[in-house]
Formats: sequence, structure tokens, C-alpha cells
Amino acid sequence: MAGLVPPGIPAVPADVSHTAHTKHDEKTDYMNLPCPIPYEELHREALMSLKPETFEGLRFDFTKGLNQKFSLSHSVIMGPTEIPSQSAETIKIPTAHYEFGANFIDPNLMLIGRVMTDGRLNARVKCDLTDNLTVKANAQLTNEPHMSHGMFNFDYKGKDFRSQFQMGNGALFGANYIQSVTPHFSLGGEVFWAGQHRKSGIGYAARYETDKMVATGQVANTGIVALSYVQKVSDKVSLASDFMYNYLSKDVTASVGYDYILRQCRLRGKIDSNGCTTSYLEERLNMGLNFILSAEIDHRKKDYKFGFGLTVG
Amino acid sequence: MAAQPKRGGVSLPERRSASKPESSILARITSSPIFSRGKQAACDAAFASKKLIRSTGKAAWIAGTTFLILAVPLIIEMDREQQFGELELQQASLLGAPSTASANK
Repeated sequence: MAGLVPPGIPAVPADVSHTAHTKHDEKTDYMNLPCPIPYEELHREALMSLKPETFEGLRFDFTKGLNQKFSLSHSVIMGPTEIPSQSAETIKIPTAHYEFGANFIDPNLMLIGRVMTDGRLNARVKCDLTDNLTVKANAQLTNEPHMSHGMFNFDYKGKDFRSQFQMGNGALFGANYIQSVTPHFSLGGEVFWAGQHRKSGIGYAARYETDKMVATGQVANTGIVALSYVQKVSDKVSLASDFMYNYLSKDVTASVGYDYILRQCRLRGKIDSNGCTTSYLEERLNMGLNFILSAEIDHRKKDYKFGFGLTVG
Repeated sequence: MAAQPKRGGVSLPERRSASKPESSILARITSSPIFSRGKQAACDAAFASKKLIRSTGKAAWIAGTTFLILAVPLIIEMDREQQFGELELQQASLLGAPSTASANK
């Protein structure tokens, strides 16, 4: 949700009776702006509402906590997986695998590891070295050669800004910076350089949020323009829309969706300009037991994906 | 011969001998330009209406399945939420009244 940090202490003249001052009369104190959200979470609300993790087939997740900090998770996934193909037809191959994972979660240190039966290993580390400095690492190892990659991130959080430096394998370097300009508005930019593909890029982002809505925009020189808008209609319902335009490949996608968070369930639905509608329902059957239904219909490609699953713990 | 062709059936137009000066009424009607234009218009109308029915059918299918995916779970869940809310209200009124009565004593 749009977790809003309350605006800073207003610099009003020392008037004993503050009865005349309403919220609109408070002057913004530019020395006490709130800390913005991290650069990669800029589109967080729109992503949460519009891009649920739809899947096809069966999904079963079981998480068991052994300790207050340590937990194990078992997952079974069965269903057709899409293979990217050059032709217009989608090729699906039925696969089934089991994934074992372990999580250690501490206020300062977080370790997450997952290993799958097809030989893939996924590991994430997040460590708060001090109050302001955080180190994150992410690694994915596979059996296939040259398909493994890893990345290190160093985050520094200032009073009203955040900066991040990234290093990845294949000589991938990136840096981004985001700054609060007013209590509601923040601006940021990023640069990256990929050595293996000899590509570099620069991008800018802006985010405006209030209690009721969040609007974000992002431009990059790789040709992507992404705008999004989320309106919180009530505390149970929010509507979101998203517009993505690639000015180099002249690719346009717009989508509109809703997100209903009710007491017993969470329902997200979306319709796209590519003729694709998706719906994702998480229903709480019991304490700790969630039933998941996912549906995705692509009218243009005549591709229909339906999935169901159960999450325990 | 002034034999009329059978009504209500498909029959070949009667053979007209070359020397015959006058032809039958029906043969004259069927060879007139108005009749051929009317027949062409009827064919075009049938073609267009077939296409219209097909595209209406496709649009109805797309609208129906999209409604099924987007709106039907929403209606069901909103109905359940309302029922759940009523149940809670009922339970609160059932349990709330005796406890407040006993607190007032």
C-alpha cells in the first residue's frame, strides 16, 4: 500500500494557539522532508495491483517455521511452461518440479535460499551494516553454462535521499539516486553500463504520492517510457492503470486493473490493450491456509492459462 | 407453345425457339435488368448479414469470457463479504446486548 511517512515539522511562527492553522496552511519545511522509497520500488503500487504472479497448472507452497527467525519451505509446481519461440505459436512443455527453500530473517540480516529439482539455485542476502548502509546480494546458478548470474547492491539511505550502487557479473555496473523534493514529490535518476553487451543507459524517474493516489513516471534512453497511476478509492478497493511506450520499437501497452482487498480474500483483475485479461484470487480458507486461483486469457494469441494452488503457512 | 413453368420448383427456363416473336411473361421478368439487379442486391445482403452475424458472435464470445474472468469472481466475493458483514453484525448484536446489560447493572 502507499505507506506514507507523515510530512516534516512545519516551520510556522511560534503561535501558541494553533487553532487557525489547518493542514493546508502548514508551510513545507524543506529541511525535514521524508525519505523516499527505493528507486527499484518506484512502481510498487502499480506492480502489486496490475502484475500478480499468474501461473498455469498446480502450485503448492508449504512454509514451516522452525524458530522465530528460521523457516523452511517446500513447493511443488506442475504445469506447462512456455518456451520462447520465434514463430507466432506458443510452445508449451509440461514440467513438474519441487523446490526446497530456507529463510533466516533477522532485523539486520536476511538470508533466503531456494534449490529446485532441475538444478537451479537461488540465493539472496540482505545485510544492514549500519542504520544507513545496506548490502544486498543476489545469485542464480543453473546447470546450463553461461546462464548463471549474480549481483551486489550497496544502498545508502540519507535523510531525504537514497542512493544505490550495483555490481553484477558480466561487468554490469549501475547506480541510482532518488531525492524527495517536496513532502509528496520525489525525483530520481539512474545510469548503468553493461560491459558484456557494450551497452549503457541513463534514465529518470518521478513519483508523486498523496494519501489517495500515487502517480509515477519513468523515462530511459533504452526507449522505455512508463507511466502509472494508482487511486485508492476506499481502504478495500484501489484502481490502477499503467502505460508503457517504447519509442525505439514503437511498442505500446496500456492496462487498467482493480485490486480488492476484502477480509476473506484478495482479488486482482486487469485488462490490457494487447487483448489480454488476467484475474488472480487469493482466498483465505482457514488460518494460514490460502487458496489461489489464477486465470489469464489472451484473445489475440488464443492462449488460455488457468492455474490453482494452495499456500500453507 | 405457351406452356407455363411449374410454380414453386426449380425448373429450367422453357426453351424458346428462335423464330418465336413473343416470350412468356416470366421469362421476360427474369431477364429484365431490374430483376438481375435485385438478385445481386439480395446476394450482397446475405453476404453482409452473414459477416455481421459472425463478427457479432465473435464480439459476444470475447465480451462473455472477459466478463466471466473479470466480473464474476468480483460479484461472488462482494456478495460473500456482504454476508460475512451481516453475520458479524448479527453476532455483535447477539453478544453485545447481554454484555452491556450486565455491565450496566
